Amino acid sequence: MRGFHKPVPATVWALAALLLAGAVVLPFVASPFHLRLAQQILLFGGLAVAWNLLGGFTTYWSFGHAAFFGLGAFAAGLLGQQLGAEFSVAARLIIGLAFAVAISLVAAVAVALPVLRLRGIYFAIAMLAFAQILGEVSKTFDLFQGAMGFPLPLLKFPGLEKVQLFYFLFLLFCLVSVAVFVLVKRSRLGVGLTCIGQDEDTAAMLGVPTERYKLVAFVLSAMLTAAGGVLYVYGLGFMTSETVFRIDISLNLILFSMVGGIGTVAGPLIGATIMILLTQVVLGDLLDLHMMLTGAVLIAMVILAPKGLLGLFRRAWSRRRLAETVEATP
Amino acid sequence: MDGTLFFQTLVDGLILGGIFSLSAVGFSLIFGVLGIVNLAHGIFVLLGAYLGLALKQTMGIDPLAAIPIVCAALFVLGALLQLTLVAGAVRRSSLMSSLLITFGASLILRDAVILVFGPDVQFLSSAWLVDTFHIGDVIVDGARATGLIASLLLLGLLSLALYHLKVGRAMRATAQQDFAAGLCGIDARRIYAVTFGISAAFAGASGIIIGLINPFSPFDDTYWTLNAFVTVVLGGVGSPVGALLGGLLLGEISTFSSQYVGSLYSNVFIFSALLLMLIVRPNGLLGNAYKGSV
Repeated sequence: MRGFHKPVPATVWALAALLLAGAVVLPFVASPFHLRLAQQILLFGGLAVAWNLLGGFTTYWSFGHAAFFGLGAFAAGLLGQQLGAEFSVAARLIIGLAFAVAISLVAAVAVALPVLRLRGIYFAIAMLAFAQILGEVSKTFDLFQGAMGFPLPLLKFPGLEKVQLFYFLFLLFCLVSVAVFVLVKRSRLGVGLTCIGQDEDTAAMLGVPTERYKLVAFVLSAMLTAAGGVLYVYGLGFMTSETVFRIDISLNLILFSMVGGIGTVAGPLIGATIMILLTQVVLGDLLDLHMMLTGAVLIAMVILAPKGLLGLFRRAWSRRRLAETVEATP
Repeated sequence: MDGTLFFQTLVDGLILGGIFSLSAVGFSLIFGVLGIVNLAHGIFVLLGAYLGLALKQTMGIDPLAAIPIVCAALFVLGALLQLTLVAGAVRRSSLMSSLLITFGASLILRDAVILVFGPDVQFLSSAWLVDTFHIGDVIVDGARATGLIASLLLLGLLSLALYHLKVGRAMRATAQQDFAAGLCGIDARRIYAVTFGISAAFAGASGIIIGLINPFSPFDDTYWTLNAFVTVVLGGVGSPVGALLGGLLLGEISTFSSQYVGSLYSNVFIFSALLLMLIVRPNGLLGNAYKGSV
């Protein structure tokens, strides 16, 4: 698909480099509280970007991505237990990550084959049900120890505090997510997915391999989400079913994307930043009102800015350009 | 297999299923007529229960007698939700956005319930319950039997309204083809609001009945929304008969799996049944009452 996309403008490169430089310096200057906020923004922003691999291009909105988040966490956590102290914590984390990604690949393919045949609302709810089933199973069978939970070993790295270390891990995760998303968006796959989003039947008629493209996007998204789950529980140091199979994780990914702008790479990151700062800092003392505020923002965004803040910005921008062009024409 | 235990489980499942049916019928109506999955359904059910509680505590009205008042209040709330928020979102973006709107509304309402009533578990009691009785060796719990009777009465009423009243005919016509219904002089906007209102009203009524049988807390709303969805997917979209069939099936799956496999596993069975039905026959056993089966 060479020539299908405009080259990335230099300003975007410069902005990205600046942001990255700031992100690398941040852990050495910010307070632990602010660093923890930044951790959350990076992790959940990265996860929201991963959710967008399928949900951003098409109307296949997964309402159950916590399924893969939890699956990854349990796969890595339980494997780490089995490996035991003979392996270093870092080795357990890396092996766990690889295992979680592999398991979620298999699970995503197995789920996708039937579930991706469903459309719209049915797909959304089927994914919700899938996440619920995994959550229940992990709680019910003692094998998974989900009801009581289990601790995870403490990861150490010379010269870095735990907060700083996990900040960098989440930053890495976020960068991988962003890289995968940008690569997909600028590839043939991304074009095909956009076509599926506009009209799946027409796309199939015109020769877009819709089934295969949807499957690839879904599996990539699931694998990234599982990796995020592993890092999340290692950061917490303890996990139960309730900490990973949370319906609010699934829904937050959609909310962040909606707030920033669905189908873009910056949108979910902006959305995550705004919503996490809003709920944790501005309303930090008003825990009772968290849900109410989240609900209100969600409703306001859907009605006032269905394409997110980026969409609003773009509309304002193109209006200004239009006005300038009109003025310039004699 | 022990015969008495089997019949006891069967009867328990039927009674539970009748109540599930009532709690799901409103969800089914909205799904059938508007094509919207109302994620605020569970909170409507809970609001019914909490309103019943408030009426009993402040004015001493028996919960069963409070059903009409609760229905009226929730009718207004449901219709307003549709007119102000849902209609606008569907018009401006897509049908998918209704999921987000109704979810947002459920978060706000749940927080409101917690602020007013607190997060604790509550329960309702009524002086008008049927006594517990026996059929052979099978025990029928009084509260549950009362719930079942009330559920069946209300479902019957809705069925009559849908098939014999003018507004019911208008609802079914709008569900089939909103444009054609408009040509016949039906105001689709009004019908959508009425549908939402009726749905919320029936959810509220079921909330009271559920409150008589089980303790409830503000965090149960996801459970009731999912239950309603499973019921509709099992039975069929948009009709009281579909909701009844789905509810009874769900009740039986739930009681039999907890009796013979273990109570912890019943949710696994329920959601597995949901996934299976979604894949095999997403519009339920009876299909979509309005649009034909896919």
